Amino acid sequence: MRRRYFYLAWFLFHFVLVVTISCQQTFSILAQGYTDLPHSLNQYWRKAAEITTVALGQDLSLSSPVRKSLTAYLHGTGIEGGYGFFAPNVPSSYKLVFELHHRDGHVEYELPHVSGTATGLRLTSLLDRIGRSQYEPLREVMLKMLAYSAWQEHPEAITVRAVFGYIDVPNVLELNEGKKESYNFLYAYDFTFPSPPTDSPPP
Amino acid sequence: MATVKFRERIFGLLFMPDSDRWLALLRFGLGLQIIFYCLSLRGDWNTLFAGEGNNFVSRDLTEAILRIENPLIPQIGWFVTLGSHVDLGEQATLSIIWALLFCAGCFLLLGLFCRSSAIIAWLLHLCAAKSGDFFTYGLDNLMTIGLFYLAIAPLPDRYALDSKLWPARRSDPARLGFHRRVLQFHLCVIYLFSGITKCLGAGWWNGESIWRALTRPPFNTIPLQFLVSWKGVLPLLGVAVCIMETGYAVFIWPKKTRLIWLLCILGMHIAIGLSMGLYLFSSIMVILNVAAFAPQFRIENWMPLVRPARRNGRIDSSTRAA
Repeated sequence: MRRRYFYLAWFLFHFVLVVTISCQQTFSILAQGYTDLPHSLNQYWRKAAEITTVALGQDLSLSSPVRKSLTAYLHGTGIEGGYGFFAPNVPSSYKLVFELHHRDGHVEYELPHVSGTATGLRLTSLLDRIGRSQYEPLREVMLKMLAYSAWQEHPEAITVRAVFGYIDVPNVLELNEGKKESYNFLYAYDFTFPSPPTDSPPP
Repeated sequence: MATVKFRERIFGLLFMPDSDRWLALLRFGLGLQIIFYCLSLRGDWNTLFAGEGNNFVSRDLTEAILRIENPLIPQIGWFVTLGSHVDLGEQATLSIIWALLFCAGCFLLLGLFCRSSAIIAWLLHLCAAKSGDFFTYGLDNLMTIGLFYLAIAPLPDRYALDSKLWPARRSDPARLGFHRRVLQFHLCVIYLFSGITKCLGAGWWNGESIWRALTRPPFNTIPLQFLVSWKGVLPLLGVAVCIMETGYAVFIWPKKTRLIWLLCILGMHIAIGLSMGLYLFSSIMVILNVAAFAPQFRIENWMPLVRPARRNGRIDSSTRAA
């Protein structure tokens, strides 16, 4: 019987976390105003998201043992994220193009490439992360690493420009009107790397 | 008196005796899942997780961010450091991790060293998911969830090779029922929140989101002209997804609606896999759903080679439906 109480306690602990994180993610989505609910409610969703953040100990200092234990448990059990797959709306997909500028002035265009379809899906996740990143230095570092990989295959290029944007897919009506898929510019970064290439990471 | 009754009801709900067939399905399914996960990433594994001079975002960057958040979260860097103490290079260590994960998947499939294999598979997959955090998507979280539940479940099940090679006492049916309940409740939470958030977006009611999901690169595997010719169905599909996901937590429980709801959800995931190329994501959802809610059936009728291990000359017949 004592063992059953132990299981019950763990069950309650685990599911309070699962539900709280799901609520936090849902409130965050609502607070961003991407749903059809009145925007006047956004402040309340923001408040609710803050309350769940406190409940999950995510407002504690990074060195707090409580926060450390909780995040380790959440990551270990795979429950650290919400479940809003493609919700409330399906976002546009991002695209990264490398412009390889050569000494003689000609420009080559490259896309990041992988060897397998499964990795291709993961590359899409990476581009989504870069696109959603609010922290500009992190975005630049990630794009620099990707640009470095492109440059390794074309070491004669003097500059690599990473052009990041999103693809606008027309809806059914727009398609019937003849609208085509379009590429929309978001950011561009110019990177230069020391020649010749070595195995060292990008500077 | 009321407290005692309430406690009995809670315990009755959580510890309803169950057979270990669901666990066999979960173990077998996750074994297959791990094998296909490894095979799908074989070509890019070392590139994805290399620390320096790789083709993508360096593992060092991901792990540095991870360490700031919490140094206790498992990561591939731990094994690379460990390997360096015995003169193993990073590439060799990464290859060993891939091979170990693949073997853990094979062992789970066979039911050999079930507990150790489940723990190793959970740990190594978790390390890969965390060290490659920028590349992860829903699949990785769901695999971690499934592998965690498998690792703590009362293994081995009667169909595992372990049960045939090293006969041991049968697992407590109440404990088996408890672990299945946890998986069932978790799936209900997943679908409920996924369904609610979809319902709040207008795109899921007018077919726009289905259109966007099917035309969004790299998921645009269906020809555009074919989609245009079926455009009238898209709003219905969008509404059906909302109803199926939001209603899952309610309609999966009554016996009258369980099978139809389960079949609809499985159909939805198979359709997602085929139409968007998300095969691994679909398969993990199918595995978790089948293990959690599939009606009791005798696996040996479907697979004559897999016979349950006998105990004291008879087969355990605890097949009470959850």
